[in-house]
Amino acid sequence: MGLRKTSEKLNTYFDRLKRGKASKIKPSHVEKAIAKLKAKQALLNEELAEAVKPSKRERLRKKLGTVQAQIERGEWLLAQINAEPSR
Amino acid sequence: MMNKLLLPSILLILSLGFWASSDFQEIAAGVAIFLFGMLMLEDGFKLFSGGFLERALEKATGSIPKSLGFGIVATTIMQSSSLVSVITISFLSAGLISLLAGVGIIFGANIGTTTGAWLVAGFGLKVKISAYALPMLAIAIVLVFQKSKYLRGAGFVLAGLGFLFLGIHHMKEGFEAFKDQFDLTRFAMTGWLGLAVYTLIGAAATVVMQSSHATMVLIITALAASQISYENALALAIGANIGTTITAVIGSFTANYQGKRLALAHVIFNLVTAGVALIFVSQLRIAVDYVSANVGIADTDYALKLAVFHTIFNVLGVVLMLPFIRRLIAFLERTIVQPKEDVSQPKFLSEAVDEFPVTVQVAMRREIQHLYENAQNLIIKGLNLDRDKLFETKDIAATVEASRTPIEFDMDAEYESRVKTLYSAIIEFATRVGSKDMPPAVMDDIYLMREVAGRIVRTVKSIKHLRRNASLYTKADTGVITELYNGLRTEIARILVEIHKLERAAPEDRSVLWLDQERIQVESDAEDTIGSIDGLIRSRQLDAARATSFLNDSNYAYSAMRDLLAAAQAYIETEDAIMEVERILGLEDEEVREVAIGEAEDEPQKSLV
Repeated sequence: MGLRKTSEKLNTYFDRLKRGKASKIKPSHVEKAIAKLKAKQALLNEELAEAVKPSKRERLRKKLGTVQAQIERGEWLLAQINAEPSR
Repeated sequence: MMNKLLLPSILLILSLGFWASSDFQEIAAGVAIFLFGMLMLEDGFKLFSGGFLERALEKATGSIPKSLGFGIVATTIMQSSSLVSVITISFLSAGLISLLAGVGIIFGANIGTTTGAWLVAGFGLKVKISAYALPMLAIAIVLVFQKSKYLRGAGFVLAGLGFLFLGIHHMKEGFEAFKDQFDLTRFAMTGWLGLAVYTLIGAAATVVMQSSHATMVLIITALAASQISYENALALAIGANIGTTITAVIGSFTANYQGKRLALAHVIFNLVTAGVALIFVSQLRIAVDYVSANVGIADTDYALKLAVFHTIFNVLGVVLMLPFIRRLIAFLERTIVQPKEDVSQPKFLSEAVDEFPVTVQVAMRREIQHLYENAQNLIIKGLNLDRDKLFETKDIAATVEASRTPIEFDMDAEYESRVKTLYSAIIEFATRVGSKDMPPAVMDDIYLMREVAGRIVRTVKSIKHLRRNASLYTKADTGVITELYNGLRTEIARILVEIHKLERAAPEDRSVLWLDQERIQVESDAEDTIGSIDGLIRSRQLDAARATSFLNDSNYAYSAMRDLLAAAQAYIETEDAIMEVERILGLEDEEVREVAIGEAEDEPQKSLV
């Protein structure tokens, strides 16, 4: 999961924001989204600890991988939003 | 019969009046201009909807004092209790506010509407308001031709006020001149008969003009010109309050049962208030004299005293009714019973929600949720699963494997009655709303939801295709093919469970990003399927005919899974700014496939069975 698409979407968002067609994202909004992902991560970890079936454990590990990548993207987005408050 | 006779009768009376007196023409034109102003004011405020108005109304649901306060403020600003009633019925029908809050707003609107009497008696009659009206109209027309919706709205509001002022001016002039020709006080009646007759006239005038405001202005200007007696003016004002309920009753015809309850509350409130005012009219007169003397109103200023009376009796009505508000709600709920829920009928898309962007959006999303619930139940049954067991199990695969007995039901018939009917209502609603002047962002959301409805419908159709073989091969263990179909059922079931978890989570805790993990899983499984089937054919564990059937069915299954996930990601509500964040962080289809292929390459040959 690279950041190219995310970066493109962020630029599109800034364009829409300029035209008054998007709600302004504040750092607190991104932090909230990251917190929700971390909550899911904690849930998945709990499920993994309880899971016995190898297939289920494997599925949960993959999901954890995805959620970790999403959290990293979120942190990248937070840095971008913090860096461009006046944009 | 009444309806057929009403219009010719009004036209006949007007024609006779015009023939008899040119001053009557001026009074009638004044009323017409005033009503036209009110229509413009309503249109202007509607252009502002989608913003402050709805946000304030949504917040006015917290408590009775809040909703009461909202009713007072909104009606004072908009100078139309009718508009406030219509908006409230619309919000109630969309499920945005509770009946209790709605009744509170209606009570408040009755107090707010009394400011109109003050405006006319205190300002309209004392100042030459036509001097303000003309420049207001000239500026308004410039604003009305602007592109911006809000400038146009401001133009309509300003024009509305201008016409209100102009209407008052003509009524005032008309009555002043009229009194030189006719003395209407000849028709004055005293005692109970006078009260009864003039109350009925006040009610009838309000029903005809559809505005208690216009009636009050007419009464005050006539009173100021000494064309009616003060006593009869009081009865007319009470009658106007009764007549105004007709607007709410008409508005409730297209509303659901909640809207009808609110209209009944309005009728009860106004009838009780009017009854109390009629019984205690002498005491109220004493109270008016007392208040007037204390606030410096001259004893002979009957116009302002009428405004005091109007305020006192409406406030008194609220004070009397407030302690019984919960009993009133219970009575309304008993009298207008909630219709037995028919899942095949749309719950939220009544015409009462059509007028306001927020109600349109919320009603559409809730109806989509209703459609999803119906579709979800049908999908679960179609896969021969039990809803409760599925949502409670810790081992979905084992639950699916154990659910072997085909559930006998007519899926086509249920699809027609529970899914297709709702889908048709959603399409019709989107088209209907599209023909109105809605903000582009609202229409984008409406069209997105229409697309989501289409996805949900497609999912059910896919399951219909899949059901025959899934039932055939899973009712008994026939080896590899049974395991393959159970695998597909399990994957669909997992997605239903994940969406269910997301729906049940509190809006502030959940994130549609959670479903991205499922999207990757679906693509990864779809990628694995072809390779695994090839392997099974080569090792002669599966014959080509069955393999082809399974591949066709797995296409239906994966397309159902993709549609389910895309629909859920679109219709599950989140705060606007968070939705923007999730849109940026969410994975595009192309990225999902890239990740899924990457995962499949990490494990070159995963067996499906």
